[in-house]
Amino acid sequence: MTANTLVNSKLVCVALNDKAQLAALEGTFNEAPYKKPPTQPVLYYKPRNTWSVDGAEVEWAKDFDGNDVAEMVVGASLGVVIGKETCRVSAADALDYVGGYTVVADYSLPEQSYYRPDIKGKCLDTSAPVGPEIVAADKVATPDSLSVAIKVNGEQKSAFDLANMERSIAELISTISRIMTLQPGEIIAVGFAGDRVAVAKGDKVEASIEGVGTLTNTLGGA
Amino acid sequence: MRHARIIFDGRELDIDIDANDRITTSEGETLDVALDSDQITWLPPVKEPGTIFALGINYADHATELAFEPPKEPLVFIKHANTLTGHKQVSYRPDGIEYQHYECELVAVIGKSGKNIKREDALDYVAGYTVCNDFAIRDYLENYYRPNLRVKSRDSLLPMGPWIVDTADIPNANALKLTTTVNGKLTQDGSTKDMIFDVPFIIEYLSKIMTLNPGDMICTGTPHGIVDCQPGDTIVCTIEDVCSLETRMVSEQKFYGDKY
Repeated sequence: MTANTLVNSKLVCVALNDKAQLAALEGTFNEAPYKKPPTQPVLYYKPRNTWSVDGAEVEWAKDFDGNDVAEMVVGASLGVVIGKETCRVSAADALDYVGGYTVVADYSLPEQSYYRPDIKGKCLDTSAPVGPEIVAADKVATPDSLSVAIKVNGEQKSAFDLANMERSIAELISTISRIMTLQPGEIIAVGFAGDRVAVAKGDKVEASIEGVGTLTNTLGGA
Repeated sequence: MRHARIIFDGRELDIDIDANDRITTSEGETLDVALDSDQITWLPPVKEPGTIFALGINYADHATELAFEPPKEPLVFIKHANTLTGHKQVSYRPDGIEYQHYECELVAVIGKSGKNIKREDALDYVAGYTVCNDFAIRDYLENYYRPNLRVKSRDSLLPMGPWIVDTADIPNANALKLTTTVNGKLTQDGSTKDMIFDVPFIIEYLSKIMTLNPGDMICTGTPHGIVDCQPGDTIVCTIEDVCSLETRMVSEQKFYGDKY
């Protein structure tokens, strides 16, 4: 675990929240093993061994034989930081429970299947940097209109407008708070661009959201 | 030796329980109270809960019961501390569902950090064993990151305890009788010998992916014999030589009270 991460106790990520990605995968999701498209937000955790900070190196993952994996990818999301205990809130009230916003990067193996929890792909040590800081909620007027950009070695590779999310921030907070009571400092990564960005050993990755910050990390293994 | 966390006489205490059921606090004070006393409120036994790993379909007979092929590698999902509750506490049944079942499971509690742990060394990383009831709501299953968080990450649906038994006191964790009763009637009668992936295998597997840390827990799956549970039911999950975990089911409204 990296000391002094900004995450308290839980980092929930929302997969498949990019409308364009859902549309592109509709055919796949009507077939086995999925059989029908998701009716609920598709959620996964980045557990505490993954949490890291701005400026930290992200370990290049090893396979089960101890060799470096061939490919890693990164996605970035707005991180919604819970400000007070959030239990069974309505979407109308949900944003009142947000304490602030930050940037979450999710480094992983390429997303090949959404059928089973992707422990091998997603739970890699140091693979979830969060930061550089938490910006107070009242400084971010319209979080659903923000855009998340990823640059690799200075070149822009991805831009995702949160307006293109299948489910809004308020809707996600409400739904998740009916599954689990959220505590202050817990973070929800609300949505990633469907196309994850390929990274290589030694790459410098900047995940930026205007008004929230730029989270910069370097891939290890070089 | 056994270790637990309780509230007694208004105080939250870390306690040791010896072979004669004598309770000593971490301050060295002996408590004059019986283990089955109503004066004890049992808390989840891991003081600083970390990542909770749970296994799906890790018993061949349960896989058959759910119409699945037994897996070729562990099916692991993650839970967090919001799901935990203690012995003799309540768990809730969500409104408007058809089928919620218990899952009596042996839990290995991680005692020290490690990565790339070899199977033969794995038990050195286990502080002890306890019992959990990893409830599931079948209505909420969807084929995305299945079993999804809506099924497995709900408040109070992972009772655990009452205590942790030192690893050294369980010479073979894969030869323990495992039973569940609902309102006193035996509904699940199995053995940890039928586990597909045992604790050393799972520790080797997980630690190839990530670092395991003290306070992490591995819930090892449940055998055949699951039934629907309703508010008012009392469920007791028992693993021989480890402990018996009692849970009472309540409605969602009763559980959440003012927040309902």
